Amino acid sequence: MSIFIDQSTRVLIQGVTGKEGSYWTKHMKEMGTRITAGVTPGKEGQTVEGIPVYHSVKRAAANREIDTSMLFVPPRFTRDAVFEALDAGIKKIVTVADGIPVHDAVQIRRAALSENALVVGGNTSGVISPGKAMMGFFPYWIKRVYTPGRIGIMTRSGSLTNEVTAMVVAAGFGVSTLIGVGGDPVPGVRFAEMLPFYQDDPETDAVVIIGELGGTMEEEVAAAIAAGTFTKPLVAFLGGRTAPEGKKMGHAGAIVSGGTGSVKDKIAALEKAGALVAERPRLVGTILKEIFS
Amino acid sequence: MKLFEYQAKDVFSGHGIPVPKSQQVTRPEEAAAAAETIGLPCVLKSQLLQGGRGKAGLIKIVRSEDEASAAAAELFARPEGVKVLMVEEAIDIDREIYLSITIDPLTARGLIIASAEGGVEIETLAKDKPEALIREHFDLTRGLEAFRARSVAYDMGLTGDAVRQMVKIIGALYQIFTEYDAELVEINPLFHTKDGTLIAGDAKLSIDDNSAFRQHEYKITREHFSSDAEYEAAVDGIPYLQFDGDIGLMCAGAGLTTTVYDLINYEGGTIANYLEFGGPNYRRAIRAMELCLKNPSKVILVVTFGTIARADVMAEGIVEAIGKLKPDRPIVTCIRGTNEDRAVEILEAAGLTPIFDTEEAVREAVRISKGGAA
Repeated sequence: MSIFIDQSTRVLIQGVTGKEGSYWTKHMKEMGTRITAGVTPGKEGQTVEGIPVYHSVKRAAANREIDTSMLFVPPRFTRDAVFEALDAGIKKIVTVADGIPVHDAVQIRRAALSENALVVGGNTSGVISPGKAMMGFFPYWIKRVYTPGRIGIMTRSGSLTNEVTAMVVAAGFGVSTLIGVGGDPVPGVRFAEMLPFYQDDPETDAVVIIGELGGTMEEEVAAAIAAGTFTKPLVAFLGGRTAPEGKKMGHAGAIVSGGTGSVKDKIAALEKAGALVAERPRLVGTILKEIFS
Repeated sequence: MKLFEYQAKDVFSGHGIPVPKSQQVTRPEEAAAAAETIGLPCVLKSQLLQGGRGKAGLIKIVRSEDEASAAAAELFARPEGVKVLMVEEAIDIDREIYLSITIDPLTARGLIIASAEGGVEIETLAKDKPEALIREHFDLTRGLEAFRARSVAYDMGLTGDAVRQMVKIIGALYQIFTEYDAELVEINPLFHTKDGTLIAGDAKLSIDDNSAFRQHEYKITREHFSSDAEYEAAVDGIPYLQFDGDIGLMCAGAGLTTTVYDLINYEGGTIANYLEFGGPNYRRAIRAMELCLKNPSKVILVVTFGTIARADVMAEGIVEAIGKLKPDRPIVTCIRGTNEDRAVEILEAAGLTPIFDTEEAVREAVRISKGGAA
């Protein structure tokens, strides 16, 4: 199977009856995702797209088989919803909420680390393995972007992911698994923590990371390559090379502050470790072609 | 949102952290009386959010009421736009200490950073003398334990009553950190006076914007921003940054907008403003364009590649905005994503020439910004 999710993964949707939740549940199902249950407090007994709804994760888990949970829950309730899923023993969680308070995000990540679980997001489009399944919202119907293939992609962005992935596909490649770790300062999982899954994935030949200014996630990827724990080819595109210091460039996590987070430092670390850095989205495709020619 | 020093000191003082006596003045003629009340010599501190105020000459020590009046007149006339001055008691200091609490994203813990050598920028200290920094992590769910606060005080080399004072200050700082959903609370410098007391010389408190729904005490004001447009956009919840170049960006998606920003620089163009109207704002093209048009630019560049931020909706929004606002400058569009075929039809029907490739759109905008025909 691909990493994180495929057609056989049994998915719970928390917040399934909401506007976003029900809309994307339909799309996830249409794409091939196996959704076994939904949760919205107070709505037990209803169905969404034929999927039974339960009051709580515990009640859903008692009645249906669940491997992973997808949260369409507003930012202010996300911490509680993640804890509820973790408490029911769910080890893989995706949250797309944009605007999770940073103190909540810290507690979510700490809980995930303690429970040995993966919480992807927030502020992300989620996870997709084109042609198989997705958790979140991707325009999988745009074939010039979401074509199956053998390139793993990790990203901090949404629209930029569509842009870069279109270049990967235009160069003749496709996507094995795309994981959006999100644009927040404290994402639930970090790039380097997902690298071992790509390393062990027989369906992934190379990984593209779409990073940007702010934080240290790209440096951690460089460290993993330098340490020899990730050995497949890695191509990076980073937004914000020319960004001024001290300005928040859209994402909460995209800011150079306290002397850390500049794209210049990230590129230096990645190149020193042996990763290939593309100056423009288009060049991601060009570099992949050179690697596999 | 960052608080001004006088706001942060109110919070610090309310939580039991000693701060110097002070008064705020909003007009130069109030300075002399305030100086007399506080006692001379005293310090006039411009209330601006930028760092390095001392070096920039935005903080002045005055020894007489006349000096206070003159210095206040000078500071209020500064181009930075000083609206408030703090008139603060001058402290007889022995040495300066650094103390802050922030978040460590990697370990997902709170992080106390302290140093017996304060007063300088922490980045400088981290680079030049990393061994002088004390780092103590703590678990947000467990809270900050007393032993950790003591450990920091002892590691700093404090002795006697200073240890007790420091533990109390760290505890108060932690309370503020959690109560205010802070990204950062910082005291730099924390004065150690000649008579052995610890007093906060400066105060920084930065509140997480994502917590605004549960943090009601402080609101953004015009003074938090360097331009009217930045303030208006922030009130509207539209990410916007003001620059002084030629191309107004009106893009969707933070990462994509940042990438377009880079591509314009690579192609030799300059940016008038960064505006991102993706996510929750994708139906607000009219407002976004209105903000862009307030700023002098030679061309507006629209680049999107959205999923939920549907291409057809954004194209309709752009066409509607052009009809309503009648922009006095050309608009270059590159709108892709969900329902992109329909978006192209909408733009073409409105007489626009949609471009489908980001780099091509950037080159076109740069060409127009340099005087090329639209």
